[in-house]
Amino acid sequence: MNTIPIRHKWEPYVWLLPSILLMSIFVVFPIGIVFKLSMSEISKAGVVGAWNNFANFRAAFRDPAFGTVMQNTAVWVVSVVGLSTLLGFVTAMALNAEFRGRRVARSIVVFPWATSLVIQASVWNYIIKGEYGNLNNVLLNLGIIKSAVNWRATYQIEFAWECGVGIFVTIPFVAFTVLAGLQSIDNAYYEAATVDGAGFWRKLWNVTIPLVKPSLTVCTVLNIIYVFNSFPIIYTITKGAPANKTDTMVTLLYMRAFYDNQKGPATAMSVIGFAILCVCAGVYMMVTMRKEEQ
Amino acid sequence: MKRMLALALAMLLALGCCAAFAEAEPITLNVIIAQYGPNTENWFLGNGMDGTNFVAKFEEANPDIKLNLEVVSWNDLDTVVSTRISNNSAPDILNNDNFSEYVVDGLLLPVSDYCTDELFADFFPSFIEQSIMDDVCWAVPDLASARALYVNTDILAEVGIEVPTTWAELEDACQAIVDFYNGDVYPWGIDMTTDEGQAAFSYYVWNNDGGFLDADGNLVVNSDKNVEAIEYAIGLYNKGFTNPNPATQTRYDLQDMFGAGKLAMIIAPNQLPSYLKDKSYEVNFATAALPVNEGAAPGATGVMDRIMAFKNDAYPDQAARNEAIGKFLSFFYAPENYVGWVSMEGFLPAVNSSVAALVESDPSFQAWLDVLDSCKFYPTANPKWDVARQGVIEVEQQALTGGDVKALLDDLQAKIDG
Repeated sequence: MNTIPIRHKWEPYVWLLPSILLMSIFVVFPIGIVFKLSMSEISKAGVVGAWNNFANFRAAFRDPAFGTVMQNTAVWVVSVVGLSTLLGFVTAMALNAEFRGRRVARSIVVFPWATSLVIQASVWNYIIKGEYGNLNNVLLNLGIIKSAVNWRATYQIEFAWECGVGIFVTIPFVAFTVLAGLQSIDNAYYEAATVDGAGFWRKLWNVTIPLVKPSLTVCTVLNIIYVFNSFPIIYTITKGAPANKTDTMVTLLYMRAFYDNQKGPATAMSVIGFAILCVCAGVYMMVTMRKEEQ
Repeated sequence: MKRMLALALAMLLALGCCAAFAEAEPITLNVIIAQYGPNTENWFLGNGMDGTNFVAKFEEANPDIKLNLEVVSWNDLDTVVSTRISNNSAPDILNNDNFSEYVVDGLLLPVSDYCTDELFADFFPSFIEQSIMDDVCWAVPDLASARALYVNTDILAEVGIEVPTTWAELEDACQAIVDFYNGDVYPWGIDMTTDEGQAAFSYYVWNNDGGFLDADGNLVVNSDKNVEAIEYAIGLYNKGFTNPNPATQTRYDLQDMFGAGKLAMIIAPNQLPSYLKDKSYEVNFATAALPVNEGAAPGATGVMDRIMAFKNDAYPDQAARNEAIGKFLSFFYAPENYVGWVSMEGFLPAVNSSVAALVESDPSFQAWLDVLDSCKFYPTANPKWDVARQGVIEVEQQALTGGDVKALLDDLQAKIDG
């Protein structure tokens, strides 16, 4: 009789053990190594030396591109997460409505998410190429333009394209997470609201959004992390050029580590990025959860 | 007692056998080769070397040596090598372009430790000079390529202009092409990307009596000649004579534009004809020397890669290891193997012994070998070369967005000196 409570006490840990082991080996251990490296001297060839009194962090903050890149990262995360959440929500509402071909529409929406980011970014890179880009070809063939247009005339425009691609590939994730939330809402709420005389907007604000909020919170936190750490789009389209003006934190630290041979400052940047993400995700979760409790 | 003695003898014998067996074990060399093209892997590991492969042929000729050879793409090469070094598992032999950072960390073996005198004497002396630091040669060249100006002869004939030889003529030619095609053809290709922006820098500074080094061999990038040269290059972009996005359009993009007849002139390596042929581009072109600033001495750009050997202090028999590395090199550079390698990838040789055979197989090689004689190379033996290389690209990209070339180069010089 006594064995049952003991088994119950240990059982969750036994089931969790494989995940804990995997997480420890592939997540916690590498994070620990990066923290150690960020405080060590690393030669250009990759030889790890002694503790260097936070010199890597000082070098990272003094990097001439650091300010621009932090600004770019903020624009990148806010625009991609913000707009993809808004557009993804609208898409989810549309996909939740009953219409002919709904299944086909749902499959089409998931395509961008099911395709590898590098392929997506490469395809967009071809679309907006000036000389033999598909966009120019289509517009020229349709007679809309007379000669090829340079769709990436300045680095600001190039960065805007990158944000656009980021939004395009993120919409399906938001749409399907919100859709799952929408499908779990009991129709009785809407019927009750309709009886009370609520219109579309009223139902949206007072029924849909509050009930979808838990899925939206999880989705936004995950999105902040994914988008902040997103590498392929920017690396494929501009590689951060010209002179780091289209870099974000992740592409900059990659270039510093593997192209400029500044491995020490690069590991410091990755630790800084990790800290920023922890704070952002933590604050967002705390704020939304507190509101839910209220 | 006798039984004990017999047992002890038997054990000794067994140990001796083990030792003898251990001695007979082949030496394994870990080799990393850079991927030059689609054929590299096939030549080393598939059946692209006359129906067999380099590794099989080498191991057959040297049964006491095993090769653990990997072909790694240029994009990943530095990452792979530095990760291995961090994990104390550096390769025995590495094929790469840079070597100075490994010398600074004391990771490389001097070439004299493993290369036979006969082979060492076979390398072009001007190439060997590029791998010397502190009077010690640390790497040997594996191949080279030279850059030249390629012009679309149909475009030049249609516009009615000659191949430009000076910077002034180049500007006139660009203007004539712009006027004639009204923007449909870009006159001049510039690649200032992180891929090869340092090459663009060299095309202009070396043809304006500038360069990366001063008379004493120090890295100096902000000389007046350099400032003038880069201002000229950026001026070509500002006047609308170049491809529209030099910071993101790589040489391969430019080569495609040249092949498609959208770009009139491009500076490219000697492999451009095979690139155009492989991609089925049909374009009529001619090669010429790079345009120079009036009165300046011409300077062709050469690019060279190297083979180097890493130390492995834990290895029990250093002499045997060095000998094995030497055998690898001697086998690789033997004309019956090396000629096939160099011509397959369309590169230029680094050893004298293969020149005759290469010229015989393709007479156009001779012209390129002459260019190679007058080539200048990047100062890769300078430990700060990577700072300069990355720096000049950043300067170019900043200048493309309106930065002041002189101020930017001065800042870079301060960074190099700091």
